[in-house]
Amino acid sequence: MRPTVWLTSYPKSGNTWFRALLSNLDPARAEPAAINALDSTDSIASSRGRFDNHMLIESGLLTFDEIDDLRPALYRYLAADSYEGPFDPETLYPVRFVKTHDGYTHTRHGEPIMGGAAAAAGALLFVRDPRDVAASLANYQNFTIDEAIAMMADPSFCFCAHPRVLTNQLRQRLLGWGGYAASWLDQRDVPVHLVRYEEMHAAPLPTLRAALCFAGWSIDDATIERAFAFAAIDELQRQEADTGFGEAPQTEHGKTRFFRRGVAGGWRDELTRAQVKRIEQDHAAMMERLGYAPAIKEDFEHVDQQAG
Amino acid sequence: MYCYRVSGLTVRSDLRLPGLIPLDVVAIPDVTIRAIVVPEALDDVSVTGPNWQRSADRFLLEIPSIGRFLLEAGHSIGYSRSADIGDQDIAIFLAGNVFGILLHQRNHIVLHASAIAVKGKAVLFCGASGAGKSTMAAALGARGYTLVTDDQAAITLDATGMPIVHPDGRFLKLWTRSIEALALGDRKGEAMRDRLEKFYVEPGVASTAPMPVGAVYMLTEDRAPRVAGISRPNLVDGSRLLVANAYRPTLVRRMGQRQAYFQVGAAIAHVAGIFMLTRPLRFSAMDETIAQLEAHWAEVGLTPAAELAESRG
Repeated sequence: MRPTVWLTSYPKSGNTWFRALLSNLDPARAEPAAINALDSTDSIASSRGRFDNHMLIESGLLTFDEIDDLRPALYRYLAADSYEGPFDPETLYPVRFVKTHDGYTHTRHGEPIMGGAAAAAGALLFVRDPRDVAASLANYQNFTIDEAIAMMADPSFCFCAHPRVLTNQLRQRLLGWGGYAASWLDQRDVPVHLVRYEEMHAAPLPTLRAALCFAGWSIDDATIERAFAFAAIDELQRQEADTGFGEAPQTEHGKTRFFRRGVAGGWRDELTRAQVKRIEQDHAAMMERLGYAPAIKEDFEHVDQQAG
Repeated sequence: MYCYRVSGLTVRSDLRLPGLIPLDVVAIPDVTIRAIVVPEALDDVSVTGPNWQRSADRFLLEIPSIGRFLLEAGHSIGYSRSADIGDQDIAIFLAGNVFGILLHQRNHIVLHASAIAVKGKAVLFCGASGAGKSTMAAALGARGYTLVTDDQAAITLDATGMPIVHPDGRFLKLWTRSIEALALGDRKGEAMRDRLEKFYVEPGVASTAPMPVGAVYMLTEDRAPRVAGISRPNLVDGSRLLVANAYRPTLVRRMGQRQAYFQVGAAIAHVAGIFMLTRPLRFSAMDETIAQLEAHWAEVGLTPAAELAESRG
């Protein structure tokens, strides 16, 4: 039985980049993995199709809370079952990685929705400077940056909690940017390894090696370095321009690009002083806990030069 | 006692089951549905899921806040309800979910599909929950096409090897947003559950008779790298897609029914055709998708090109 490891993150924190890296870790690989065929991970934990298929229940006829009551049993079952279903790719990966944007919450009866220790051996928690998340999230959600900042500060914000339409995923409680990280860091059911997006840029090799080591996958440095080359932002952007990306945001007006800048610290030329200040006020405690320092005068040189 | 025909089977139930095709009387029903004391677990379990168990001829399903269901030999469904669960809440699970499992237990071929009629043949739209099956059937219904089935499509092969669809009911089941987008408010019936915004919707015309299969479309969204259009997968991929679009693919695998699905898949591909229909999910693209479909029906010979309008109804 392969161990299950959650790839958990608030949206726009490097989760997809990490999945692309994992898909490029095959030593026999001669060229970059196709972004539309990332086979390193099972479908997202909140997939409605997989819930219905394994539980034999039409989740659309259940309330959000009734669905949540059943999710722990599903995740424990999938972790224990070696079967790869029609919603899961066939795989030779030594670890069963499953992406999720669910905050670590509990059912009405106090059970962890993610199924607790029996549903996963560990979790890789991806975090990113919330000032960078805001700009990326605005692009992804087709929001203004101010709307993205409001979403990040709203502990009640959920994905797929629409009562009037059936979405292809189950409700996911995001708990706000700070609440998301706190929910995973503070729970005691599943060991968590923190992966900072900024460290993936500043020190790629040791950061990925440590994450894989936590997941129980030992792999040589040359293969890891090649994966970073194969999943470099310009390669991901090139493929997206070429074929499109199935996970890119879709709106009534057409498609928005998913792989945008792929940089750390981009907020310095994308956010106003007021927006930076608001994020720092909203998330002061968690930013400090994760090592994201408040802006200083020099951070605004770019903005000031433009204004001057 | 209430009597119905569901997916080709006669049913006698001690509970009213909304949305199904009613029958006056059934002397010896194929399936009996009644309240019983459902056991907590089965003896001699051969296969288990997260909330279900199977033994040789018994199947136990639990939906914690709703109830427990015991299916025996494909002939009877016993149910016991959880506290505070009314008739409506238990009935919708019996009529849909649980009956679908019973069809799997009977080794019937059952697809997750809606269907409408084109010139006396059933055109099926397959997909997982949320893929847009019912909305597609409703949009075609609004243009005059007869509804054949919504959600479950039981398929048998007749003596000549022709695949036949058996309807699962006589209503569409739609969410509020689809009802609004398709302007079907005046046909909206009762809510499927009081706490949900999903309703029975009266179709313009519904057929309650079995009907030969004319074409099967697998619904997919036009997400990259897939682009909008209709394509025909090869025979092997077509049969695989059919298994993936069984009502509950996991049961096909765990009950060892793949071979039967491949067989029916080959028959459908031979006499009707299995296609991929890739299109945008947004409502504003529906007209364009239907125009593509109507052109395709002429192309594959379901309708003579010049008589498109007559094909409706």
